[in-house]
Amino acid sequence: MSLRRSLAFRVNLVFDVLLAFTGLGTAIAAVLIVFSRADSLAGWSKAEFLVLIGTYQLITGLRTTFIDPNLAWFPESGIRSGKLDGYLLQPASSLFLSSLSQSSPLQLIQVVLGVGVLSWGIGVADRPPSAGGVVSWLVLVVAGTVVTWALSVLLASLAFWAPKLQLDVFYHSAWQLGRYPTDVFARPLRVLLTYVFPMALIASVPSSALLHGAQPSTILAGITAAAGTGALAFLTWQAGLRRYTGATS
Amino acid sequence: MRTAVLLGFRLRQEVLEWSGAWWFLLTLVVQAVVAPLIGLFVWSAVSPDDPAIGRYYTAVILVTLMTESFEQHTFSERIYNGTLSHELLRPQPVVIGVIGMNLAIRAWLTVLGAPIVLLTGIALQVGFDWWSVLRSTPYLVLAAVLVFLWTFLLSLTAFWTDRVHAVVGFGSQLVFLFGGTAAPIALLPDGLRRVAEVLPFYGMIGLPAEIAAGTRAGGSLLYQLAWVVLLVGVVAVLWRAGVRRYTAVGS
Repeated sequence: MSLRRSLAFRVNLVFDVLLAFTGLGTAIAAVLIVFSRADSLAGWSKAEFLVLIGTYQLITGLRTTFIDPNLAWFPESGIRSGKLDGYLLQPASSLFLSSLSQSSPLQLIQVVLGVGVLSWGIGVADRPPSAGGVVSWLVLVVAGTVVTWALSVLLASLAFWAPKLQLDVFYHSAWQLGRYPTDVFARPLRVLLTYVFPMALIASVPSSALLHGAQPSTILAGITAAAGTGALAFLTWQAGLRRYTGATS
Repeated sequence: MRTAVLLGFRLRQEVLEWSGAWWFLLTLVVQAVVAPLIGLFVWSAVSPDDPAIGRYYTAVILVTLMTESFEQHTFSERIYNGTLSHELLRPQPVVIGVIGMNLAIRAWLTVLGAPIVLLTGIALQVGFDWWSVLRSTPYLVLAAVLVFLWTFLLSLTAFWTDRVHAVVGFGSQLVFLFGGTAAPIALLPDGLRRVAEVLPFYGMIGLPAEIAAGTRAGGSLLYQLAWVVLLVGVVAVLWRAGVRRYTAVGS
């Protein structure tokens, strides 16, 4: 249904596809400019950077396809519009309906482009990834996707306590930091991006695991972070719903 | 004179209206400073011993805050929801309202973003030559005009398409890449640098920032002025064509 709706507007489709291409092209160009001046950046080679951009693009694509159409601008689009009230009346989990029931399939183009850049990065790497590296990457990408969903739910849940607080612009700005390895940033920001707003888990950690393999402790930390943030999102949503009294009350 | 008075009233009204949305304005500040901050970290990692990088990017952050434009939200949405009709009926040019809101938002972003600029400067221990900063003022003013004209020009496409945010997003990517945020223009590969120096985007961010940072002694105001004249011409043509195409709700 979402795909049909998207294909009905062909000019918009062209715009979306073009923007996906140019957005990724700009990100890659910015990195290639750096590598025209240096052989490595904060210990990361060009190939590693491409793998990181590809992984980041892949998870961003999954977010914009499956999560953003439901949770973006939630105080306005989810609560004040009365959509949440409708979901609460349905015989299914309100968390599932509110966070995953709609999608923008055309945004999957970002996933395809991400896989393309990922393949480019693997192609120019000194040595191909090991089977263990690929498995670690897959596990960590799934964990990163769960963390992404949980962060979006936590952000949306804020609306139950502070309905006028719109942090979407802030969230999407902070998301941009995931496009670079955390090693590039100064220590306080690195700590923040690893433990508080875990953008490191979105791209840096899986990319490093793909090309160099991962310690079992890294994979365990990824799974723990996914389970922890997922549980926190679920509990926060439930607590928020207990406060919620309706769109108009 | 009448236009200046009207603009003054509109500016005052918008500054007061936006004062109630300070939390949202703070998120816009964060949005504005993220790209220059990333540039700062990246190029500081490439050239850790070059103090000019810190000075340049501190200036870029300030220039970005002072020149941000959001006409795709403030103006284009009025085309989409039909309230542009109200503005068209007023006995004053529509652009006064657009410029008034633009200046009000910029003023708030500058005030709210000043601590970030200050903190960055202190953390990096950058020292500015205040004569260079003063000399960058006319370049900064023209940069602010250029960014507004560029964003307004792209926002006018809302008369023809409902994908104005994609159009403006594409325009922002060009500014990011060729304007001096992704990398100082001098560090671009030769071919790309020559292209960037001719396009208007360098005059929007990089040129005033380089002059304020003291990495460039003087630039050509004529280069910025030429682009201002050209963009004003294109905006005027598009505006007339757009208004002719615009159909008010109910007509």
